[in-house]
Amino acid sequence: MASKYLTGTGSESKQLATWYFTFAAILFGAQLLFGLVAAIQYVMPGFLYEILDFSIARMLHINALVVWMVFAMFGSVYWLLPDETGIETIGIKIGKLLFWIFAAAIVVVVLVFLFVQVGKADATTIWLITEGREYIEAPRWADWGIVVVALGFVGNLFLTGMKGRQTGIVTVLMADMIAFAGLYLAGMFFTDNISVDQYWWWWVIHLWVEATWEVFVGAIAAYGLIKMIGAHRQVVEMWLWIEVAMLFGSGILGLGHHYFWIGTPEYWWEIGALFSALEPLPLVAMFVHVLYDWGKTQGSEEEKGNTHSVINNKPAFTWFVLNAFGNFLGAGVWGFFHTLPQINLYTHGTQFTSAHGHLAFFGAYATILIGMFYIAVQGTNGIKVMKNTKASIWAVSLITGGMMGMTVALTIAGYVQVIVSRAQMGATWAAYFDGQSGMWFTQAMDWRLIMGILIFTGFIILAKDLLTTGKNPVHER
Amino acid sequence: MFEPFTDVVPSFFGWLNQGPLTLTIFLHTVIILPMIWIYFQEKKRLENEN
Amino acid sequence: MANKSVWSDNRFWKRTATWVTGFASILLIWLTFDTSTQIAMGNDQDLQNKVTKRVPGPTVINYKITYEMSPKRGHEVPIIGGNDGKGNSLFQEKEKFFGRDDYSEKEARALLHLGKLGSQAKNCMDCHTLLGNGAYYAPDLTKAWLDPAWGPNGAMQALTGKNTKEEAMAEFLQHPDQYPTHARMMPNLGITAKEAKGLVAFLKHMSSIDTNGFPRNFGKIKGAVHGK
Ligand code: HEC
Ligand code: HEM
Ligand code: HEM
Ligand SMILES: [Fe+2]
Repeated sequence: MASKYLTGTGSESKQLATWYFTFAAILFGAQLLFGLVAAIQYVMPGFLYEILDFSIARMLHINALVVWMVFAMFGSVYWLLPDETGIETIGIKIGKLLFWIFAAAIVVVVLVFLFVQVGKADATTIWLITEGREYIEAPRWADWGIVVVALGFVGNLFLTGMKGRQTGIVTVLMADMIAFAGLYLAGMFFTDNISVDQYWWWWVIHLWVEATWEVFVGAIAAYGLIKMIGAHRQVVEMWLWIEVAMLFGSGILGLGHHYFWIGTPEYWWEIGALFSALEPLPLVAMFVHVLYDWGKTQGSEEEKGNTHSVINNKPAFTWFVLNAFGNFLGAGVWGFFHTLPQINLYTHGTQFTSAHGHLAFFGAYATILIGMFYIAVQGTNGIKVMKNTKASIWAVSLITGGMMGMTVALTIAGYVQVIVSRAQMGATWAAYFDGQSGMWFTQAMDWRLIMGILIFTGFIILAKDLLTTGKNPVHER
Repeated sequence: MFEPFTDVVPSFFGWLNQGPLTLTIFLHTVIILPMIWIYFQEKKRLENEN
Repeated sequence: MANKSVWSDNRFWKRTATWVTGFASILLIWLTFDTSTQIAMGNDQDLQNKVTKRVPGPTVINYKITYEMSPKRGHEVPIIGGNDGKGNSLFQEKEKFFGRDDYSEKEARALLHLGKLGSQAKNCMDCHTLLGNGAYYAPDLTKAWLDPAWGPNGAMQALTGKNTKEEAMAEFLQHPDQYPTHARMMPNLGITAKEAKGLVAFLKHMSSIDTNGFPRNFGKIKGAVHGK
């Protein structure tokens, strides 16, 4: 295969990918910083009060999260397209232009969030300042910008996929990315009816993270296995189709687990409970699949008498394996905990949700996208075998350990809320603060903050490791 | 045999919702049954290819 | 490869994936049509005709709203204008809202519209939960209108120097930093008197939405541990 596509230097698509990855990594750092602000406010309520209120810090935290992941996802596709299709990405010039439009729009939105913060109760605010709907607060003008950029991206993908070699991975990505972009439209309207509002809002949030993004991860994991350990394409792609069937089969109607209490009919209790209860199954399958392929390729090398590892990128592979497990743990196990209506009645909208949200987003997406950062760093620096470094090991340990610690803290805080605020005291304003002021709750908030600092330290080390790889002589070139 | 309907507005899905499992067993069945048909079609194709 | 099994055949799985995805999507669309008609907002006519809607019309702000057990449903439901004793709304008893209980459809709709816009423009959802969704830094607002703290026996009317629930709420929303009850305070979001009225209408309307019994036992339990 033309080696020029394997490195970032020969391919414009790969160059564009590195731009996307770089911007994503910066936003990841910003996400963590605003998360820390919000976490400090739980512990010291006066911190930045009426300067950068909790709502603003949190909004920046979760919007930076969504946007960095979307950037890293676009980057991943631009990275793997030349490898998969065997040709340079078509329309890459427009792709590059759209990148700058996208990045500029994000910067403007962030500045407005930071300095304008809130507006009057009118349509101008919705169009220019914020739409005020969790995760998709970006104002309407930015929505349209995002739609244009997403269309351009999907266009690049389709043109390239249709002209070049159309592998199973590319086929899945094409179908998946069009659904991903299309779903965003469901979040772009205003209604006075809060039940209708939330109904469609979940189409964006849930059908992204529990359907289209999961399938995306399946495709990326398939690519990574072929790329990093030389797994057999035919086997990998068969798994991919099975995963697609299971993920969409459970995830699409699993949407019902958000329709228990928002004004929607009671039949959603049953649909939501049972379809979403099946959602962890494909996540188990994905975990088994990654470990199985690893063992299999390593084993067949050993049969030939080779003792060296089949992995040509240790840090990336570490993150990919963490993804396989973290997806199962954060989304599968922590999701299942509260997905039955009998339980969700009490856990709905507590720190328990936050515990799940953190571990799921981290385990399912942050991990594999960081893995893609490492694959790109390997490619652009022409490295044949990339080793773990002290920094890469510290980074992965601090970030993952911190996330686990944070999840445990939030889960404990969630239990306090469920038992004290919801079950014992009757869910009122006073009941809410009875829960918040309990010792177990306040200590959990302290621990969350400490874990957050560990995560941020890990992030700094990660950035350093990624930036110094090019000069590091330990890697085989 | 049939549970009385309790939700606010009667509907087809509400009616299928007879107990803890009826509705999803029904929906899962309609999703899975055609797979059998796909299975035998593909089996025939593989046999013809040989 | 002779006698290749269908189970390890990529085409079989590809077709299965396509079928399952397509069919699940169609079911979801069908369910969406069904649900959409059920959660469409009612109107004044429905209230006059005593029709229970999952999401009542905006003029529900003219009525007294409570949240009571329905033996038939097995959980609490919003009761509008009095209870028939069996957990059904009577749509009779009115309740004054800023001195009036005769808001027209148009007036009430405009208030609700302002309130919903305000809730988004000020980002309530990034501190509070609405219908249980949002942020966990402040109390859930689903049934805030019915919170005992705002009622005649609660502290808030006296604290804000107002004689009615709606006026106390509106006053608090305009100057939350002047009436703190906990170290974790709600900030001043620049809410005007007019916006506050809309927001209170929005909160009152939200409390009338049938949320299938969430939150459970709202305001009913005074504390199994402390209050025995
Ligand atoms: C920066 C975070 C923040 C934002 C944004 C915010 N609130 Fe609050 N809110 C709080 C906090 C904290 C409390 C608890 C105050 C206390 O107990 O002293 C509170 C209390 C309340 C209460 C009383 C509690 C209850 O259950 O009745 C109401 C009502 C309320 N807020 C409504 C709103 C509305 C409406 C909006 C949007 C226009 C809003 N809040 C935006 C933080 C916020
Ligand atoms: C990678 C996949 C997943 C991600 C990223 C994810 C993320 C999230 C997030 C962020 C929320 C909170 C939304 C909010 O702000 O209100 C949430 C809620 C929820 N998730 Fe997931 N999730 C995933 C998979 C799952 C799975 C597989 C299940 C079930 C088995 C599940 C069950 C739930 C439930 C029931 C809620 C509602 C919580 C509540 O009522 O407050 N999730 N999820
Ligand atoms: C420095 C580390 C972090 C800190 C201190 C932190 C802190 C916080 C805080 C305080 C909130 C608000 C929760 C609330 O409303 O009560 C929040 C929400 C959230 N954070 Fe983080 N966070 C961190 C890292 C992350 C990471 C790495 C991810 C994902 C990869 C993430 C994803 C989320 C999500 C999805 C929510 C919304 C949760 C929900 O609505 O249920 N955070 N975070
Ligand atoms: Fe979900």
